[in-house]
Amino acid sequence: MTWKTQSTASLDSTNILRGLTSLKRVPLGSPVYNAILETLFNEAAALDERRFDDWTAMLATDLIYTAPIRLTRTGPTRDRDVMRSMFHFDDDYNSILMRIGRLHKSAWAEDPPSRCRRFITNVRVAECGTEGEYEVVSYLFLERSRGDNPENERMSAERRDVWREVNGSFKLATREIIVDQSVLGMANFAVFL
Amino acid sequence: MLQKSSLTLSDGTKLDDLIIRESNEVSLRVMSDKELYDIEMERVFAKTWLLLAHDTEIPNSGDFVVRDMAEDNVIIARDREGNVNVSLNVCPHRGMRVCTAEAGNKPIHQCIYHGWAFKPDGDFIGAPVEREKMHGNDVDKKTLGLKKARVHVYGGLIFATWNIDGPSFDEFLGDSKYYFDQLFCRTDSGLELLGPPQRFIVPCNWKIPGEQSASDGFHTLTLHRSLMEGGIMGGTAESIYDQAPGMYGVDISCPQGHSLRCLEAAQTFKMFSDISFEGKSVEERLNMLPPPGITPELIPQLFKNLSADQVEQLATIPPQVGGIFPNILVLFIFAPRMDGGSSGALALHTYVPRGPDKVEFVNFIFAEKDVPEQVKRDMLQNSVQASGTSGTIEQDDADVWPQIMRNSRGAASKTMTLKYKALHGHERPEGWKGDGLLYPGFTKDDTQWNWWLAYHKLMSEA
Ligand code: FES
Ligand SMILES: [Fe+2]
Repeated sequence: MTWKTQSTASLDSTNILRGLTSLKRVPLGSPVYNAILETLFNEAAALDERRFDDWTAMLATDLIYTAPIRLTRTGPTRDRDVMRSMFHFDDDYNSILMRIGRLHKSAWAEDPPSRCRRFITNVRVAECGTEGEYEVVSYLFLERSRGDNPENERMSAERRDVWREVNGSFKLATREIIVDQSVLGMANFAVFL
Repeated sequence: MLQKSSLTLSDGTKLDDLIIRESNEVSLRVMSDKELYDIEMERVFAKTWLLLAHDTEIPNSGDFVVRDMAEDNVIIARDREGNVNVSLNVCPHRGMRVCTAEAGNKPIHQCIYHGWAFKPDGDFIGAPVEREKMHGNDVDKKTLGLKKARVHVYGGLIFATWNIDGPSFDEFLGDSKYYFDQLFCRTDSGLELLGPPQRFIVPCNWKIPGEQSASDGFHTLTLHRSLMEGGIMGGTAESIYDQAPGMYGVDISCPQGHSLRCLEAAQTFKMFSDISFEGKSVEERLNMLPPPGITPELIPQLFKNLSADQVEQLATIPPQVGGIFPNILVLFIFAPRMDGGSSGALALHTYVPRGPDKVEFVNFIFAEKDVPEQVKRDMLQNSVQASGTSGTIEQDDADVWPQIMRNSRGAASKTMTLKYKALHGHERPEGWKGDGLLYPGFTKDDTQWNWWLAYHKLMSEA
């Protein structure tokens, strides 16, 4: 995925791009769709259960992992609201490994750990230009219980992934997390989305 | 003799009982008290200068962003003459938000409720159906503009205040200006905001991150020990408290409550620990290790924009973290990268009150405007990975603050006090050039105590 810094904080080179871009849909219920859906469920379980080594094994080493900010806009630009000049996450494989390394030591934001449920729905799959790579769009709803606070922190997002088939299993090559809030209601993203 | 504050809360508690100047303590109750919060809105946030935006966000006429001065929503817009205006985003007709976007470009702001229209400078243009005079029969149009704040642009940073006749911005910065200039006014083109700020809510009173922003260096060793465990800062996990990396330097401050921690890179980071400035000229030092955010090409500009003394400090013991009273955190830090890419992260945060028990964390991320694109790219990544929403440093802060507030409500807990008794006292290090209150050595409570004194002073002025 190519990425460019804006020369000022001006707003105009963002795009409306939503959902799948490829027209080569992989239909619901087909073997590839089922295998990818199962992969997403397995990934959610690995993260909810904090099995970070299992999650790392699902990541491609050329992973790009970002969460652009959202901006409330009106008029002709009202739908250009995904701002890829600023991020909540701006990571690659190595920085994700650093984050995981930290979680194994003193990361007070997750020690005690949050109890998380990642609900993954609305999964759509299409073939990419590259053989063995699939565009996968899913909705994420995260319920996060922290300490003895009876009120969960929660967030909703769309995830635009590229999953790559490697020796019969799938590796995450790209993830773009499109959060819905312009002002996040969650005090930090110390958990992966 | 300390002058007594006249502020008394409805239950008879005096401000002097909460900010206890005789013993350098602050009652924990202040971290959630609703009545105090309402007074703060008037006496602190309507009186002092507040950071809202950066020049580079609104380069063209008609460009605007919408931000908050505490609980007052405002439009920051550039007019046709190129001036920056800050106007209350409240329609003088029936109180609707005039601008419902967070950013954009509009030559005219028209309220979507009944259609009153305003210029970027806030002036009233008119109401629809002109012949019916829906703005009033005998009302002067000049009186119907959006309420305007007083604006000052400092190093591209857009500040505003409702205190129209109050202290000038330079009086507000006081002796700390000499140091802040080294961060904000050092290059020809200045800083550039790399994108709209991250925004998120932390469920705590604004004063909890506020007092921390006044150069609480000590918490780094424990709360942020993952920095040492990760091997970036000096020392190892086992020797954190022995070596205390990043703790020794010179803290600067002033009665206005601002502060900065000035630190030598060699004392802080493992990868810089072999660098010796012994016998090296200022220029040589700058080339060996440019201060955070500066690339070698920009070094000649430092000499042009700053005094020789300021450049020498920047080359030797640059200001890196600190705060501007009441609610700004400054983070201009070395951020060494494993892949050899550009080191350095430049960020400012504002902690915007959203009620006694909520604060909005606004994270502005910068680079110098005249550095190559790849440097900007690296520095954006450095800042996002260290600060704000997912920052591996500040995630932990956002987890602590709500727990302090929760502790400030119990009948027993709220009578507890915060202790600021580890004081060094002002001392001028030999050969130090800048003014202000100076605290060399291990970082202590002085700067944060000065923050509370500045708070006490404003809260005492009706
Ligand atoms: S409230 Fe704005 S025009 Fe009526
Ligand atoms: Fe911190």
